[in-house]
Amino acid sequence: MTDRRRFEQQVLPHIDAAFNLARWLTRNAHDAEDVVQDAMLRAYRHFEGLRGEARPWLLAIVRNACFSWMQRNRPAELAAGPDGEAAEAATAPADGPEALLARELDRRMLNEAIAALPLQFREVLILRELEDLSYREIARITDVPIGTVMSRLARARRLLAESVRVITLASRLQTER
Amino acid sequence: MKPEEAARLLHAYVDRELDAAKSLELEAQLAADPSLRERFERLRDLSAGIREKADYHAAPSSLTERLSAALPGAASAAPRRTVRWILPVAAAALVASLAVGIALMRPGDEDALLREMVASHVRSTLGNRLIDVASSDQHTVKPWLSARLPFSPPVADFSPEGFELAGARLDYVGGRPVAVLVYKRRQHLIDAFIWPGNGPRDGAYSRDGFNVERSSAEGMRICLVSDLNRNELSDLARLLIARR
Repeated sequence: MTDRRRFEQQVLPHIDAAFNLARWLTRNAHDAEDVVQDAMLRAYRHFEGLRGEARPWLLAIVRNACFSWMQRNRPAELAAGPDGEAAEAATAPADGPEALLARELDRRMLNEAIAALPLQFREVLILRELEDLSYREIARITDVPIGTVMSRLARARRLLAESVRVITLASRLQTER
Repeated sequence: MKPEEAARLLHAYVDRELDAAKSLELEAQLAADPSLRERFERLRDLSAGIREKADYHAAPSSLTERLSAALPGAASAAPRRTVRWILPVAAAALVASLAVGIALMRPGDEDALLREMVASHVRSTLGNRLIDVASSDQHTVKPWLSARLPFSPPVADFSPEGFELAGARLDYVGGRPVAVLVYKRRQHLIDAFIWPGNGPRDGAYSRDGFNVERSSAEGMRICLVSDLNRNELSDLARLLIARR
């Protein structure tokens, strides 16, 4: 079997996962297409290095391609990590505003709120909730320790619930006015 | 376990990442502490809400096409009309084998087909024509379908796994009659469209808030359509394929 054929069988089926991640990280379909194409070509070149499961392996490549793309095109967003690791660790686990019922979640608001999350929180959330990857796989893809994955995920969910709640309140006020 | 530690471990528990010993410890704490229990439930609902309602951006067909042209290897020598007929037979066979996955159905057709199935699912859930034969008994459903279709679709109830067979109906998509098995999971309805033939690409897809899971096994194409989240939908796909 040719390399190309093996690649088409093992890696290409994960193109939806690749695009989904790139689309959420770049927040733009057009840019995501460019990034995924680059990443796929890179994956093809390093295909021999694939050990184990193809999807996390491919997603790590896509994630890196997204970051290099952002470095070139949107350096401000990368630099503007809102809080450092210290702030992440210091997040109080006190009664957080996950106080949000799933049925209150409006689809559009939810998507906006996820898109508005700072990059390092958005990526762990997407990998966990939409790609259903394990902490270990997410740690490998994002190149941080598992403990950091856990604290970022907790923070991501808190931020998300908080902002959905604010948006919901704001829209309620608007309709009442 | 201290309350702070319990609160910290809630996420790992929701994510099923906690080992058995810690899970038991936390469950005891959850039973004893209503406010912790409430936090757990909110967290679980939030996670389920994201899985169900956040957009899953499937790759557009334009990207698949671009990629197919950009990847090195045989398929980049895509058969041009002017040269195809002079290619040696062996090369043509190679190109054909590569192209099969891509060209069996053009991406535009695939999009149209997915739209048709989502529309069928929406129509049937809006009206009353969801089910032609209402039964959770595969021995009732399968003969009913086989008698009305030129093929015999696989039929199975997966109640123990949480997917209850509610019945089946006939439909017409992509210019052919298809079997539609209807499953229930919690408040969600899932349509499983089944017909003979192999499709171009397996995988997940989402449109207008509905998830579509495409798979094929042994010459049968299975497409699941539902507002159920993708992960549970692919669980059902796996069950159906394993049952083939």
